[in-house]
Amino acid sequence: MDTRHFVIIGNGPAGNEAAATLREHAPYVRITVIGQEHVIYYRPNLLPDFIAGKLSEDDLYVKPLEFYKEKDIKLRLGQKVVDVNIADREIVLEHKEVIRFDGLILATGGKPRIPEHLQVFEHLMLPLKTLPDAKAWIQKLRQIDSVLIVGGDLTSLCFTKALLTMGKKVFFMIQGGAFWPVRFDADIHDSVSRTLTEKGVEVIDSENIKGITKISENEIVVNTETRKLNVGAFGAFFGLMPDVKFLARSGLTIERGIIVDERLRTRFEGVYAAGDCAQVYHPGIRDYWVSIGYRNARNLGKAAALNLLGEQVTADVAAPGIFQFDEITVNTSWWTEF
Amino acid sequence: MDTNIHQTEMLYSNSPADFDYVRVNVPCQSACPAYTNIPAYIRSLYEGKYDNSYELNRIVNLMPGVLGRICSRPCEEKCRHGEPELGKPVNICHIKRAADDHKNAFEPPRGGLFGSLDERICIVGAGPAGLAAAHDLATLGAKVTILEALAEPGGMLMYGIPEFRLPRQVLGEEIGNILKLGVELKTGVRVGKDVAVEDLMSGYDAVLLAAGCYTARMLEIPGENLVGVYPGLDFVMQVADGNPPRVGDSVVVLGAGFTAFDCARIALRLGAKEVSICIRGTEQDLRVTHEEIFETKREGISIQGLLLSQRLVGSDKVEGVEFVRTQPGELLPNGRRRIEPIAGSEFIQAADTVIVAIGQGADPIPSPGEKDKRGVVKGDPETFRTSLPGLYVAGDFMTGPSTVIESIAAGRKAAEKIAESLSGKKFREWTVRIQDARITDRQRSWDMIPRQEMPTIDPSHRLHPFNIEVELGLPKELAHEEAKRCYLCYLHYEIDISRCIYCRLCIDSAPRDCIKLAEDVVLSESGAISKIVETGSWQNVSAIMIDNERCIRCGECVRVCPVDCISVSKVELTERAVGGI
Repeated sequence: MDTRHFVIIGNGPAGNEAAATLREHAPYVRITVIGQEHVIYYRPNLLPDFIAGKLSEDDLYVKPLEFYKEKDIKLRLGQKVVDVNIADREIVLEHKEVIRFDGLILATGGKPRIPEHLQVFEHLMLPLKTLPDAKAWIQKLRQIDSVLIVGGDLTSLCFTKALLTMGKKVFFMIQGGAFWPVRFDADIHDSVSRTLTEKGVEVIDSENIKGITKISENEIVVNTETRKLNVGAFGAFFGLMPDVKFLARSGLTIERGIIVDERLRTRFEGVYAAGDCAQVYHPGIRDYWVSIGYRNARNLGKAAALNLLGEQVTADVAAPGIFQFDEITVNTSWWTEF
Repeated sequence: MDTNIHQTEMLYSNSPADFDYVRVNVPCQSACPAYTNIPAYIRSLYEGKYDNSYELNRIVNLMPGVLGRICSRPCEEKCRHGEPELGKPVNICHIKRAADDHKNAFEPPRGGLFGSLDERICIVGAGPAGLAAAHDLATLGAKVTILEALAEPGGMLMYGIPEFRLPRQVLGEEIGNILKLGVELKTGVRVGKDVAVEDLMSGYDAVLLAAGCYTARMLEIPGENLVGVYPGLDFVMQVADGNPPRVGDSVVVLGAGFTAFDCARIALRLGAKEVSICIRGTEQDLRVTHEEIFETKREGISIQGLLLSQRLVGSDKVEGVEFVRTQPGELLPNGRRRIEPIAGSEFIQAADTVIVAIGQGADPIPSPGEKDKRGVVKGDPETFRTSLPGLYVAGDFMTGPSTVIESIAAGRKAAEKIAESLSGKKFREWTVRIQDARITDRQRSWDMIPRQEMPTIDPSHRLHPFNIEVELGLPKELAHEEAKRCYLCYLHYEIDISRCIYCRLCIDSAPRDCIKLAEDVVLSESGAISKIVETGSWQNVSAIMIDNERCIRCGECVRVCPVDCISVSKVELTERAVGGI
């Protein structure tokens, strides 16, 4: 009987695919999935349609709880990992519980990135990454008519479409840094700007935000170098940062994400990373790459699980290609998913 | 304010076990090269005694106003508040600055209280090590002269750190307080050129070489001689000297230390449009504080990791840097990470200014005596003696680049050894002071107070005027709030097992596993407790013990104990005069 305990940190597409793959190939091992949110696995890329009322909350969920019971996968929701002690093969949860593991897959995903110069205004910004974020937007949009979207990641474009269908006035301030890991250039900027303008969005040329002031619950004033803008809400869409801060003391090598090789191995035996939190060198672009997107995350989760079980699978890290999205041409697979 | 500390008994111990206890249980003080009594000065500030808090710093680190701004903060890396599940370390450094900001005018002690050392001593170099040695030797009664090659005293503090991080008025005041002790300063005197070491040795009873490190290291890759390429140290020194170099629109800084960050931030203030700091490893490998990284990024400077420069390209003027991407490997014995280039990943990044800030070394001074492989006079790390009687060496000049607090500690230690050599007697010693104490008014809820971060000027207002100080200092209210977070690790908690009724209330109330059912204890060679052997069986319990290595001094166990069997004492590493000076 195989009594090994495999722990997966992260309840998103990479984590769930990893869990399912482990169970498929190792029927007797213990599998635990730890998720920070209190809800079961859902597709965050559908959140804009959920906000617009096109989808119900049930439509977002990927697998019911029965799936985990049936597959004997222990699902621990609403639990935050605060430390990983790889030498002792232990992880520490916020409520001080220690869990031992024999194999570990880190699939913590990403969290909204706020550029350093805007972090002092973070409390006035609304992101859209999680289901609670979406519910906060639904509440807010009932009371306001206009939204300023700052940044330019793909969620922001999908969300903008949703806002337009709801009859909201949308201002859009494109900021190049938001396109990470995509190399932002003038072509992308012009393409995005033209498409948004055609759809009725007021595009504001990239400017430095000098200040954000809350006038009331439903009115925010945004000061740039040249204008003052009164809007109902400020949406922060600067892309995602791998959610790896809690690993700072683990000894893992972290740059933007957890650095792994093409088999998703970290520096430590039996410890893998997959999905939006894994950073792997990509010879095709001569650079490190964080492969973002639902499908990519699932593929990486599967590869990590197989390798943890002793396979030699090389991750299919999406090569950069040309994709079309609402007539916008962009150079990454990331965009195709939203 | 009632400190709730009643002093019924005080003793001084030189037992290795007690030193070992402090090393393990007061991690902040042990991590400070100068052994600053951090819990004591934080507690003083909490009590509103800003003068006392400043003085508790000054007596060992000499420049609290300076260090409160630019210290590398090894203490914060060891602060218990930064351990897993406990949050962020206490903002120790900025509390130090708050003590300086809010104190009354400080006047250093004058002669009359000083020791009996009457010798004439010459110190070469008015940097942190030289000034620290001068301070201590002067207080022992020596007649000290400092010879400084540059126009102003302060060394790297004056010429290596930009004013927006360290205002010159703060630096000037604290240097002035050292000179007021009767130290003579002669600037513009380059030893080895204007005056020979041999002449100094014949004119003084002792000569201490503490000339620092002023030769910038280069990468030794092709293209470093192109126009538009600056050594980082030269770059910051020219700015400090009032002759800032011209920078282009696009600046690349190569380096991972404070000088690299200073160069990048200066370049932005000199008008560069895009500035990036390129490093071989990752942000984890940087040797600067998190605050420095954050503020640098806030100003719009990017940090690009996993890049190794191969050559600088350009025809007559630099036009870019050819990088190869790197792969981090395992940690090396020196604490750094092995970095390996990835073959085939070369690319060129455009730049019209490149600043190479990868470190610096000592510029040897012509002198007799045995030299090390750098050509610098060789010194003993313990005694600071060279091969020649009466000639000593200390600080960065002896060891290579170090931090300011390490230089100050080295200068003080060198002064102690010089005084001992000249007089044949010991003036001071480190000892462990132990005194009865009682639980403080510290509350468990204070453990949840978030770290109070340093307020700074908005990035859009930082560039003009050029030298405006970025950090504003903690107002009294914030400093007081931050001081509450300190666990006061100098307090030692102990259970009197002869009175303990084993009710377990302390265990139940403990915020972490700091109270243990012990079957046995293992002592280290020094006699200190090195390990508590725990047991889960009541039959085997021989004592219920507080594991001071895990204790966060929240005091909760003392409050809940129904039989008042938990005592508190204060244990401090402190310096004291030996037999009166």
